[in-house]
Amino acid sequence: MGWDGIKLRHTQSPAGFALLGALGLLFAVAPVQAAGDRALGEYLASECTSCHQLSGRSSGGIPAIVGWPEEQFVAVLNSYARKERDSQTMQAIAARLSRDDVTALATYFASLTSKP
Amino acid sequence: MKLTRRNVTAGSVALLAASSIGAPAVLGQAKARVVVVGGGPGGATAAKYLARDSNGAIAVTLVEENETYQTCFHSNLYIGGFKTYDEIVHRYDALASAYGIALARSRAMQVDRDRKEVVLADGRRLPYDRLVLSPGIDLKYDSVPGWSKEAEEVMPHGWKPGRQTQLIRERLDAVPDGGTIVMIAPPNPYRCPPGPYERASMFAHVLMATGRSKARIVILDPKESFSKQGVFMPDWEKRYGAMIEWLGPKVHDGIKSVDPKTETVVTGFETYENCAFVNVIPAQMAGAIARDAGLAPAGGYCAIDPATMKSVADANIVVLGDACNAGDMPKSAFSANNQAKVAAMILRGELVGAPTFPARYLNTCWSLVDTDDAIKVGGRYEPKDGRIAAVETFISQPGESTEIRRQTQAENIAWYDAICADMFT
Repeated sequence: MGWDGIKLRHTQSPAGFALLGALGLLFAVAPVQAAGDRALGEYLASECTSCHQLSGRSSGGIPAIVGWPEEQFVAVLNSYARKERDSQTMQAIAARLSRDDVTALATYFASLTSKP
Repeated sequence: MKLTRRNVTAGSVALLAASSIGAPAVLGQAKARVVVVGGGPGGATAAKYLARDSNGAIAVTLVEENETYQTCFHSNLYIGGFKTYDEIVHRYDALASAYGIALARSRAMQVDRDRKEVVLADGRRLPYDRLVLSPGIDLKYDSVPGWSKEAEEVMPHGWKPGRQTQLIRERLDAVPDGGTIVMIAPPNPYRCPPGPYERASMFAHVLMATGRSKARIVILDPKESFSKQGVFMPDWEKRYGAMIEWLGPKVHDGIKSVDPKTETVVTGFETYENCAFVNVIPAQMAGAIARDAGLAPAGGYCAIDPATMKSVADANIVVLGDACNAGDMPKSAFSANNQAKVAAMILRGELVGAPTFPARYLNTCWSLVDTDDAIKVGGRYEPKDGRIAAVETFISQPGESTEIRRQTQAENIAWYDAICADMFT
């Protein structure tokens, strides 16, 4: 087993490495702008939009996260995962995101434009 | 190893897979049809995400008898005077205009699982390839002796939106200084676990703010403990002194009966006569349409597959929100909204070959204790051993700073705006 996309990255089976290596080669030669998987990012983002509005609007208590630079998005989520930033909710969320999940989310939200 | 679409399209290989096996799973018809029953956080969200993300490839019909939706969530803030009634009422118009969802303004009466049709009160039969049931709860009117459907006007529950919410507020406003409010809390599992206790907080807030400090609120609870009890109770004492009294079953020795004519509540321990207001929140179960379809045990909730939100009794039907047994996830608007996104993802995978991913779930429940003083509980959940299990949890702590509590309430307000935008715009 272990052929499940998300689990594969956690378990890092030899087959997984080989496949990811092949994909990496494929992406390296293709003009890929986005670093993260768009479909994965879109699905994962649906969890975020219960609190962070997709339009980029914000009612103050929860920040807008649309249109952030990808590096910033990744850095913030990682700091929640390390519990360096305060927010019980975000710490619990970040703790269960893989590196690829975070990258996919960063790419997805960076691709959106705020519509306040 | 079984090579399914789910396995192949997950994660990084989605880009490669999309071109080769992106064919619709349902063949022989122009468009896959999904019928969604119930326009609350589960149903409205599922309808929107199915329609929006399939770009017209799925015909989505939302069956909802009411023209507008009043949120149960934040109805306590209306009761507490923190929101107007209009602020908790929303319209379905954008779901139709922005996403092409067909709105069927009728009551869904029955599911014909053999013919895969939903029968509406207006006589229409809606055929479906997949059905999303999100009917919410039904109240067990026989769970409190002496109480009944007829008695809900006199001893309101306020656990379904609309007139009942307003009745609670009206009755609260009429409580005299020195009067006694008795709240009968429900047994598990029920809609909005911290809801009764947030409501008691709002009662106390209003009574204090209007100079009725001699009134008291007695909560008669069939449970030994309740959600966020360790935070609520010290906060009540700090904010409201002895106004709120919580009695567990070992103390009150059972709720023996209520008499709506005399506003009396009899427990094994004491009789409360001439109450200013009795708020009966009864035991609950899955909405009738789900029970009648054979998807729930008698008086219970619908068992679901935690990886898909599908009924274990019928793979063509998804059950969302309060009507399902979601394991460790509480029955909350947040949960229903979140489950709907998992279900929409799974159904799009089946019906139009969209990529699918392992299900993951999230919930947070905020409760307002007093002005700028909110607490929260929540967690992250994943399928495990046949149920939805908590994998990370968090809860507010007693004695937190006023700044943390103020920030928690700011989150609560922002979450409401976001989830409503997520459901209705």
